[in-house]
Amino acid sequence: MTQVSISHLTKSFGAAPVVDDLSLTIDHGEFVSLLGPSGCGKTTTLRMIAGFEIANSGTIAFDGVDVSPVPAEKRDIGMVFQNYALFPHMTVGQNLAFGLEMRKVAPAEIAQRTARVLDMVQLGGFAERYPAQLSGGQQQRVALARALVIEPRILLLDEPLANLDAKLREEMRGFIRDLQKRVGITTVYVTHDQAEALSMSDRVVVMFGGRIAQQGAPDAIYDRPASRQVAGFVGQVNILEGMVSGSDGGRAVVRLPQGEITVPAASVPAAGSKAAIAMRPEAVALGAAGEPGWAGTVVSRQYGGNLVDYKVELAGGSTVHVQCLSATPVAPGTAVTVRPDQSRLWLLGA
Amino acid sequence: MVARRPSLAPLLLALPAAIVLIVFLAIPYANIVMMSVRSPGNGTPYGPGFSLAAYIKFFSDGFYLLQVANTLWIGALVTLCALVIGFPVAWQLGRGKTKLRGIYYAIVLAPLLVGIVIRSYGWTVLLGNNGVINRSLREWGLIESPLPLMYNGLGIVIALTHVLLPFMVLPIMGAIQGIDPSLENAARSLGAGRWTVLRRILLPLSMPGIQTGCILVFVLAISAYVTPALIGGLRVKTMAVTIVDALIDTFQWPFGSALALILSVIGALCVVAFARATRMRWKVAS
Repeated sequence: MTQVSISHLTKSFGAAPVVDDLSLTIDHGEFVSLLGPSGCGKTTTLRMIAGFEIANSGTIAFDGVDVSPVPAEKRDIGMVFQNYALFPHMTVGQNLAFGLEMRKVAPAEIAQRTARVLDMVQLGGFAERYPAQLSGGQQQRVALARALVIEPRILLLDEPLANLDAKLREEMRGFIRDLQKRVGITTVYVTHDQAEALSMSDRVVVMFGGRIAQQGAPDAIYDRPASRQVAGFVGQVNILEGMVSGSDGGRAVVRLPQGEITVPAASVPAAGSKAAIAMRPEAVALGAAGEPGWAGTVVSRQYGGNLVDYKVELAGGSTVHVQCLSATPVAPGTAVTVRPDQSRLWLLGA
Repeated sequence: MVARRPSLAPLLLALPAAIVLIVFLAIPYANIVMMSVRSPGNGTPYGPGFSLAAYIKFFSDGFYLLQVANTLWIGALVTLCALVIGFPVAWQLGRGKTKLRGIYYAIVLAPLLVGIVIRSYGWTVLLGNNGVINRSLREWGLIESPLPLMYNGLGIVIALTHVLLPFMVLPIMGAIQGIDPSLENAARSLGAGRWTVLRRILLPLSMPGIQTGCILVFVLAISAYVTPALIGGLRVKTMAVTIVDALIDTFQWPFGSALALILSVIGALCVVAFARATRMRWKVAS
């Protein structure tokens, strides 16, 4: 197992830095996701760890040893590419054997290790097939097996599920996570899909503009986003603008057009300063007109099977997304009340 | 389900091409086959009646067999030279990130923009005994008598390689452009150095282009007439030159036709054998 320490890493293509003074430590056996929109520098960071890109400044160290001068082929990493990058002219078995041949492993051991890893990804008996004869999901598992069979120090995954259909993608999340735990390998996973990052990682690193916006356990990122940007990128969020009108113990009282509401706040801003409250769509309950809460009208309804999304226009003018279990349908146009769960709100600075 | 009547559309769409092929390929070929079994004439292009005299003449005279071997040898050498020179060029064009790519491309295509007669004359200016190369070397005192660069196989190979190079470069370039760049990174991440990446990944994946390029260049080289005629002069003759001699200079139409057919058949056999030998089992995923 290997610890990866990245410090003050910077990379520019042309004038604008793609990765900007990034520092990050990934622990032995940890599964870290780099999450962010395209162009946030997550893939470039991964490619620098792999050795495909050279940093302009900063260092990357494996177990305390700077690997900056080490070329990609000597870094001992296993990488899974978005398009799998299987060698089309080699069978599955030959694809897996390639990395072992480079390491001068004896043929008998190659056969044995290849077979074992193929079993691990549930592709025993596929060794003679060519990649073109496999489905997308099978190719994906071959790519994973090829990266793992060399028993690398670090496993790097670059959007490995992006080309799979939705159902398979969800299956593969659990599969990759289980495999990673079983092997116990330090893993860096790049994705723009927040659901993947949240469901698979020990730690999520949210990146914007080449910098780390927030890092932490998945639930910490989701429940306590550090900024509007993070909140908006990781899941859906409702933001209601208002003004701080006072404090109540460790809570801020915020005046909204709809009324006053108390919000947990680490430090309460001065009364009179602008503030906003944020809440997840599933932390808001929908009630019949006349019940306590904010009055509003359902504008639209989007059915999603187990869950339904409602867009509700509040009396004060703003719009709130509400997500609830699809028990009793509410038709658009219906007058309703909206009641936020006060323990799942948080305060955003102006 | 209702069985659909086979549509006529595909047949109709293929009709123009079929007509062109029949009129300009099948009928002339049939004509050549017929001509090759006519009796040799006496003062006329061919005589009355049919005979196998032309074929007997070919197979009983070692001179012609040697000439076929010579032609194939020149074809093989030209193919090899074009491959060795063309592969790095194709590589640069297919993978290079340089801004000069457009210029390189134009340089590669340039030989095709000038008529073949002019290109071949150009080489006689360079390679002749009084040509640019020999005269320069003599004036610098490097040689006493001119190097034999023309009127031999060497000159033909040099000139044909130049003339046919684009036919090698373009298919290989296409194949290289089709190789997913992440395959190189994948191989490197697995521990392969540059040379191994080239040998184990890039070269095998360029094979479809190499195969096409080799076949094109070989076929064009063994059937080339203008370049061998101008560079080889009277001393070195390839099959194509001999065929034209037979048809036009010595007026032996049956014999010329037989030679043309033999060259076609041998060329086709070589192509089939080559394609068999370099056949690939894998397919690129769509």
